[in-house]
Amino acid sequence: MKISLQTRFAVGITLGLLFTDACSRSEGGSATTPPARGFPAVNAIAAAPLGQVAGASGNVAALSIANPFEGNPQAIEQGKQLYIKMNCAGCHAYNGKGNMGPDLTDTYWRYGGLPVEIYKSIEEGRPQGMPSWGAALPPEDIWKLVAYIESFGGSVSAKDYEHARQGDQPGEQIAPEVLEQRP
Amino acid sequence: MAYHQTFGPAVDRITSLGWGLAIVSMLVVAIISLLLLVGIFRKRGHSQGLAVRSDAGGVSWIYVGTGISTVVLVGCMLWTMVVTAAVSRPPKTPALTIEVTASQFWWSVRYESATTARSFITANEIHIPVGEPVRVELKSADVIHSFWIPQLAGKMDVIPGQTNMSWLEADKAGHYRGQCAAFCGAQHAHMALLVVADSASAFAAWQESQLSEMSLGNGEGQKVFQTHCAVCHTIRGVSPEGIRGPDLSHLKTRGTLAAGLLMNTPANLAAWIANPQSFKPGTRMPAQILSGAELTAVTSYLNTLD
Amino acid sequence: MNGPCRATTRAQMKSRLAVEVDQIEPLSRNAGDEFWALSKLQFGRSPVLLTWLMVGICSCGKSQKPVVMELTAHAATTGGANLTGATFNFAPGDPAGEWHSQARDYANTRYSTLDQIDTGNVSKLRVAWTFSDGMEAGHEAAPLVVNNTMYVVTPFPDVLYALDLTKTGEPIKWTFKPNPSPMAKGKACCDSVNRGVAYVEGKLIYNLLDDHTVAVDAKTGNEIWRTKMGNVETGETMTMAPFVVGNKVYVGNSGGEMGAWGWIAALDVASGKELWRAYSTGSDQQVRIGSDFKPFYEQFKGKDLGVSTWPAGMWRHGAGTVWTWVSYDPQLNLIYYGTSNPSPRVPDQRPGDNLWTSTIFARDATTGMARWAYQTTPHDRWDYDGVNENILLDLPIDGTMRKALVHFDRNAYAYTIDRTSGEVLRAAPFAYQNWSSGFDMKSGRPIVNPDKEPHPDVKLLNVCPPDLGGKDWEPAAASPRTGLVYASIFNLCMDLTDNKVGYIPSTPYDGMNIRRFPAPGGNLGEFMAWNPATGKKVWSVKETYMTMSGVLATAGDVVFYGTADGWFRGVDARSGKVLWSQKLGSGIIGQPTTFLGPDHRQYIAISSGIGGAATIRADIDAVKPAGFPAGGNTLYVFSIGGDSMTADSNQSTR
Repeated sequence: MKISLQTRFAVGITLGLLFTDACSRSEGGSATTPPARGFPAVNAIAAAPLGQVAGASGNVAALSIANPFEGNPQAIEQGKQLYIKMNCAGCHAYNGKGNMGPDLTDTYWRYGGLPVEIYKSIEEGRPQGMPSWGAALPPEDIWKLVAYIESFGGSVSAKDYEHARQGDQPGEQIAPEVLEQRP
Repeated sequence: MAYHQTFGPAVDRITSLGWGLAIVSMLVVAIISLLLLVGIFRKRGHSQGLAVRSDAGGVSWIYVGTGISTVVLVGCMLWTMVVTAAVSRPPKTPALTIEVTASQFWWSVRYESATTARSFITANEIHIPVGEPVRVELKSADVIHSFWIPQLAGKMDVIPGQTNMSWLEADKAGHYRGQCAAFCGAQHAHMALLVVADSASAFAAWQESQLSEMSLGNGEGQKVFQTHCAVCHTIRGVSPEGIRGPDLSHLKTRGTLAAGLLMNTPANLAAWIANPQSFKPGTRMPAQILSGAELTAVTSYLNTLD
Repeated sequence: MNGPCRATTRAQMKSRLAVEVDQIEPLSRNAGDEFWALSKLQFGRSPVLLTWLMVGICSCGKSQKPVVMELTAHAATTGGANLTGATFNFAPGDPAGEWHSQARDYANTRYSTLDQIDTGNVSKLRVAWTFSDGMEAGHEAAPLVVNNTMYVVTPFPDVLYALDLTKTGEPIKWTFKPNPSPMAKGKACCDSVNRGVAYVEGKLIYNLLDDHTVAVDAKTGNEIWRTKMGNVETGETMTMAPFVVGNKVYVGNSGGEMGAWGWIAALDVASGKELWRAYSTGSDQQVRIGSDFKPFYEQFKGKDLGVSTWPAGMWRHGAGTVWTWVSYDPQLNLIYYGTSNPSPRVPDQRPGDNLWTSTIFARDATTGMARWAYQTTPHDRWDYDGVNENILLDLPIDGTMRKALVHFDRNAYAYTIDRTSGEVLRAAPFAYQNWSSGFDMKSGRPIVNPDKEPHPDVKLLNVCPPDLGGKDWEPAAASPRTGLVYASIFNLCMDLTDNKVGYIPSTPYDGMNIRRFPAPGGNLGEFMAWNPATGKKVWSVKETYMTMSGVLATAGDVVFYGTADGWFRGVDARSGKVLWSQKLGSGIIGQPTTFLGPDHRQYIAISSGIGGAATIRADIDAVKPAGFPAGGNTLYVFSIGGDSMTADSNQSTR
């Protein structure tokens, strides 16, 4: 079939663009694309309380803020690089099981295991040793760290925030050889 | 055509080889073209009928052509091998070794020294003494890069997990631009490097100034630096060993910022710190959330680092 | 202080010879007569004569000056002779039935002359009473006993309890809560522990995790003074037990994993004022190296080596912290201690020998000026430190008696070093190691195996010992009766990957990604007896779990130690036979002590409460036994039959 020069030209360019585009998404070298809907607003995160809300019981919507990088493999990988470079691995161990700092792979979270609660613990710091990173790391980097920590499997999904606060979650049996939990 | 001009024994002979091979190739093309044209436009003799007879002169053309080609090709091959061997290592033991670690999208440079206390780190700018070979050990912090100073050294890939070796020598004082030569990510094109060849005394002076430590102070700019920048950047004597980003000790002595992207002026520095992504989207340095006063303070502090 | 002395002496006699002593004439008040009477009773059965040299008044001493008792050519009554010819200096001569400092004496022997409990009756040891302080972290301190009061310090928040041993039930006399900064808890690399208290002149002195040294009145529990020694915000902490000599108390910092700047300081006992501070890296002035400094080996001679053996500026966060034990020779007036690993723990980031980290120092006890130094692991690549205790012994080496110190380093070498000059007399591995292929006696340097040198991002397999070493801070004990040194050691290896790190204050400046597992043999721990004169292991007891407890040696020829899974054992000091074991409520990483109660009965005290570095075993994938204990503290006090004042007179109060 005879294909006109213009058609061939057009197809060639399109394929070329697609090819380049696919390359840029698959290579590990480029930065993670910022999430389409951007990052959660600062005041929205600030509204997530650390403890109960006095005078009010029940759900607090701010706790349901999800991690914009949830499940993003590039973000998880970059979160892992940050985890090592920012010395998180020094306190929480390279495998996340903790040493000086608590175990991040188990299901016990002293300050909460929801994505926004983990975010706040990193950003604000916590008593008894957790430094405050909010001035040094921008929100994008902290959300990447949260994504990496979520990949350990011990955190709580944002949509389960009510169950997490009420304790409606199964416990875990610790095999004898696993380190006993240190709150 | 500036990259055809070379200034060091590591590449001078390669340039000559390059020109030589180019000329040989051009001559070959010219000769073959000529022969082809002669063959096309040669007057043909009348046909002598269909009798087949041996063409006495044809085979000798083949012998001659093959013979000349072989000699020329073998000659070129030997020349190439000799030149490659000659430039593969420095002519004498280098007195100076530097370790260059390539990251996305900048270069960390560590000056080794026999006296441990005289080894130090800088970034994106290499100073070498004129006329002395310098050994360069190449390491990568993340992906494959390639170290290329066109006027001083050929390309040498920088591969994670192994140490490659290259060397530099400059015959003349001056500034030489380098470039990452293996695609490494979104800002590969903006991953440049500056090599400055100094006279022996100027180099010694530069080394001493680089070794000196800034004194601790209490200024506003320094406070902003400690809070926002020190987790990634080092300033010798003030905040040691932030390793995620380039070492900023003696920043004022450098000619460029952001791996050769911007000239090192106060305005550029402030604009870069405020939003690096606008200049180099995809660079690893995040946009800083600084107030106007904080930005002014830290920029003026950094401008004192000479 | 003659009263308690006499009572002690009589009590000892009474308990040992319950029938006979009643028939003995009342002793004269003359100390010399008392002494000879005691000797006859204790050693009368032995046909062997002994020679005692006593300086000063009988061991209780009216003056505060330490009493030097040198034991020469001594043969014990039971068992055999001193196997090695090692002799010991027992200053300061606490009353035999008390325990005033973590190491018991200046030489750090942790040896008690009490012998009511001996190889014959130790199997009858039972729990007499217990005390729980309610803290969960690792309990590493030894309980002190002074004037029938027991002093117990807890891990963070470093609460100090005084227990009244004269009353039924050993009630709490007072509690001192120092309120250290909560920030400190997250800066302690290896659990928020406290390695103990020191008693001097009616004061109890100890360190708080948040870099304060505090003195508390032993009678009332009120704070006398508190001195700030460092800034906890940068990651520096204090965990070691202070060491007292005369009117000075020596303290040092922790934080070798946090990029701290290591130091040792001397404080005035009365006021807490800092008298001098010697750093472990930096210029000679900062390290207090002067014209008196005479190291034995060439590599330690030079100016400002604490700066020039580091890349530019890195000595500032080079660590070399002083987090364990100090010993003291009163005749030479020198203190001995070791410094920690260099920082960061990634060696390629800090080429050079990295002086003065992983180094044993001898310093003038008064001025703090260094006399000699010896670096056990130059350019320490594996976090071996150099901090383990230095036990001061006089040993026969190649026919001559030498004033020596014995040091089991984390790098798995046991060193015997001349304590006057810093010359290494013996260096032999006491645990499995493959990081070095030998030791060069001429240069005093270990010969490093290049296969075991770590480099960033390269996974290095099977490096032995791991960072915890062949033996860690848990102190050994020495017995003058056997001449042997007893230590809890490890049998471990590691896989190691280094990652380059930056210094971010208050975060670890570390970089070692480690997986630990047992060395050949499969056991994680071992308790051994070591001959310091020949440098050879005499016997050992292998343990499934880590043995990370201090050791107690007694004149009854029983040595005591505990395991990480909670077994506390009494072992025959000569044969190594385990004579008695008791499972405690949690793992044992503390230090046992022994004392005489008001009822003149000998008790053994040990705190159980696993933590510290012994819990860093989640990485030990290869070991699967169930039974590793949970945490939680109980202090156990044992006696023969479990008898005690409380048991004898216990009545319900209701």
